[in-house]
Amino acid sequence: MGVRSFFDRIEPHFVKGGRYERYFPMYEMVESFLFTPKTVTTAAPHARSYVDMKRIMTYVVIATIPCILMGLYNVGLQANTALADFPATGWRAALIEFFGIGFNPQNPLANFLHGLLYFLPIYITTLVVGGIWEVLFATVRRHEVNEGFLVTSMLYALIMPATTPLWQVALGISFGVVIGKEVFGGTGKNFLNPALTGRAFLYFAYPAQMSGDAIWVPVDGFTGATALAVTAADGVQALAAEGLTWTSSFIGTIPGSIGETSTLACLIGLAFLLVTRIANFRLVLGCLGGMIGFSLLLNLIGSDSNPMFAMPWYWHLVVGGYAFGLVFMVTEPVSASHTNVGRYIYGALIGVMVVMIRVINPAFPEGMMLAILFGNVFAPLIDHFVVQANIKRRARRNV
Amino acid sequence: MAQTKRELLIDPMVDNNPITLQVLGICSALAVTSSLQVAFVMSIAVTLVTAFSSMFISMIRNQIPSSIRIIVQMVIIASLVIMVDQVLKAYAFEISKTLSVFVGLIITNCIVMGRAEAFAMKNPPIASFVDGIGNGMGYGLILMMVGVIRELFGAGSLFGVTILETVNNGGWYVPNGMLLLPPSAFFIIGLIIWAFRTLKPEQVEEREYKIQVVEAH
Amino acid sequence: MSEDQNVQNTAPKGAIGRFLAMPADTLPKTLFVAVTLCLVASMIVSAVAVALRPAQEVNKLKDKQVNILQVAGVYEKGVDVAEAFAAFEPHVLELETGRFTDQFDAKTFDDRASADNPDTSVALTDDPAAIGRKSQFVTVYLLRDDAGAIDKVILPIHGYGLWSTLYGFIALEENGNDIYGLQFYSHAETPGLGAEVDNPRWKSLWRDKKLADENGMLQITVAKSVPAAGAEYHVDALAGATLTSRGVDNLVKFWMGEAGFAPFLTNLKAGEI
Repeated sequence: MGVRSFFDRIEPHFVKGGRYERYFPMYEMVESFLFTPKTVTTAAPHARSYVDMKRIMTYVVIATIPCILMGLYNVGLQANTALADFPATGWRAALIEFFGIGFNPQNPLANFLHGLLYFLPIYITTLVVGGIWEVLFATVRRHEVNEGFLVTSMLYALIMPATTPLWQVALGISFGVVIGKEVFGGTGKNFLNPALTGRAFLYFAYPAQMSGDAIWVPVDGFTGATALAVTAADGVQALAAEGLTWTSSFIGTIPGSIGETSTLACLIGLAFLLVTRIANFRLVLGCLGGMIGFSLLLNLIGSDSNPMFAMPWYWHLVVGGYAFGLVFMVTEPVSASHTNVGRYIYGALIGVMVVMIRVINPAFPEGMMLAILFGNVFAPLIDHFVVQANIKRRARRNV
Repeated sequence: MAQTKRELLIDPMVDNNPITLQVLGICSALAVTSSLQVAFVMSIAVTLVTAFSSMFISMIRNQIPSSIRIIVQMVIIASLVIMVDQVLKAYAFEISKTLSVFVGLIITNCIVMGRAEAFAMKNPPIASFVDGIGNGMGYGLILMMVGVIRELFGAGSLFGVTILETVNNGGWYVPNGMLLLPPSAFFIIGLIIWAFRTLKPEQVEEREYKIQVVEAH
Repeated sequence: MSEDQNVQNTAPKGAIGRFLAMPADTLPKTLFVAVTLCLVASMIVSAVAVALRPAQEVNKLKDKQVNILQVAGVYEKGVDVAEAFAAFEPHVLELETGRFTDQFDAKTFDDRASADNPDTSVALTDDPAAIGRKSQFVTVYLLRDDAGAIDKVILPIHGYGLWSTLYGFIALEENGNDIYGLQFYSHAETPGLGAEVDNPRWKSLWRDKKLADENGMLQITVAKSVPAAGAEYHVDALAGATLTSRGVDNLVKFWMGEAGFAPFLTNLKAGEI
């Protein structure tokens, strides 16, 4: 326990009255990352549970692993496939050639490493910039840096397109952490999902780099439209012509943001989160129900001019950010509704909104991000009405 | 609590700013701040309307029956706003095109009504006029701050003069498109309020609730 | 708060003075204040409106003229708009025949009012520009060179983008096929994306493009990639503004097509204008 004794030795410097009292949050961050937190709740009420904040956050990060692996593989695959027609340039290509890995899309390892070279800079930027903000606020406000940031940064990095310039990554996570979380008092008090807030900021601030055809595959000059963009233009039938089948969308070998393309990987993560009871199944059911119900309704209504109306629900499930959002964003406990009935309503609201934005709004082909943020905003209101209805029902019963 | 003319003029800048402290007149602050020139003209228009409407209302304040006082204030404010609108259309057509309906909406700007009802109805004309100028300038100050941020980072220019050459024009600066959309002013005004209240803690409102910590037994 | 002492303490003098000194909340006083205020306010406002109307009319006219000058490439800052505009001949064109008509006074003819008037407009069934009704008469402008021959024609166009109807002009060379410029003077597209239709760099892309190929097929297109017909018929789409670009593409094709100015352009090419 060399490390433990090191921490025990330096701890007095950081606690109240110590020399580095101001920097306690930094000490605490490193310490509780490495060891089980020993602080306990002092105020009533008390509930005993083995699942503490640290464990919840760690489990969510674990649940993203399939998405990360699949995402890295797919970014590399898309890039390497496109490189057949375009010359490889830049430091990544130089590095890959230096190690003699090559650009063969048939070689999973080459794909994986190529993807890693895109993901790592984005992820490291996110960690560093977001981490600076976290520590800054923790130090000024005298609260602790929370493990939640690890989740936020991982989710944020996974919903970036691989081509996002790093300065935009930095700007987005800054906005997400500061406006999405810290202005409201930090983890647990944020009513918006910080990762999505950052992503939404980039989406509106730099739409040319955040949407369109040229950004999904990190090869200069190559354009590959997302399944949603293709459908919006020419209908579901046109997807086959672009080489996008349902199976490939389900497995995740299609253009899209780094971690969101593979529905399969998301579902593995979902299974893990449901088994460990981190994710609430009511949210998932609500969101699935809302999406399926509303897309069936739109299928029924139909439209001559808008081919998105005809998009069946099983396509909605596998394209865009729906699966990723469903698994990692809708189920986020802080920004979702907190009552059981409210969770169904909250989930359904997001499910309906995502289809509505995708199908009916002409400006935004993808709707998951906006739908979840919309749901976030309404979550407290939903809770309020659920609680009120409950109070009324009980009052009637007791008259 | 009689205030000197100087205080009437200076107070609404920071200590009693209509936007950041009273949170009035937000709507137009969102709509007209994407370019500095427009924000500037809007500030002047609101300052003039507030000052003169306060003055006129103050002049007849002892004659205004309380049952119709709001309507009387509205008539005076609306007449002034229409005059401003007409003058802009005649002598600053380009700007009046971008301001479009927002000049007309000065009528509904809470600052104008607020000063008329809260100050001009109880104070002599000159003081009311100065108070109107002060509040209009307090409004203008925030508008200009928001305008500088939005135009500089949203379009790369100030008062229409290019500062940061944008990519679309062959430069290096990638403009932040969100700053050109009205909601961005919400964030900026929020951040300005945050900054003001950090510098001047007495502006922070009291909490409506307090989390009580019950000591462990 | 300081009470205004003067009014309260001075003894009322005369009939008016006594009336003014009445408590403000009585019925006669309320009526008096309301009526007087309305009269005074309405008089001032209407006086201002009447006095400034000429200047406003001039501005409105000038605004439209400046747009026409700009699209024809003769506008510079500080130029005397009225004088420069005098070189342009307005004509009311009947779209169907492609001939000028004397039914209306070209100087005062209002295209938009005409599009709303069921007598002078038709409801469109095939409506790619999404404009609903099309006026059968529009105002076009001719710019002649010193010898009196037609140098450029300026045609009004409009159609729906993403959020709004774009109104503008397209300027063509005397051969009726080469584009000189395109400009929108009124729209509400997304700032930074669709609103880049106002970007001078994008507008300059239209210069020297051709409407139709040798066979008379309309080929002009706004798209991301160069079409098969060739680069001289292609204007690059606006980055990140797919729907605005599509709207511009549709409206240019519509107005340059058979339902729009094609009959007129045919006459122009035949030298019959």
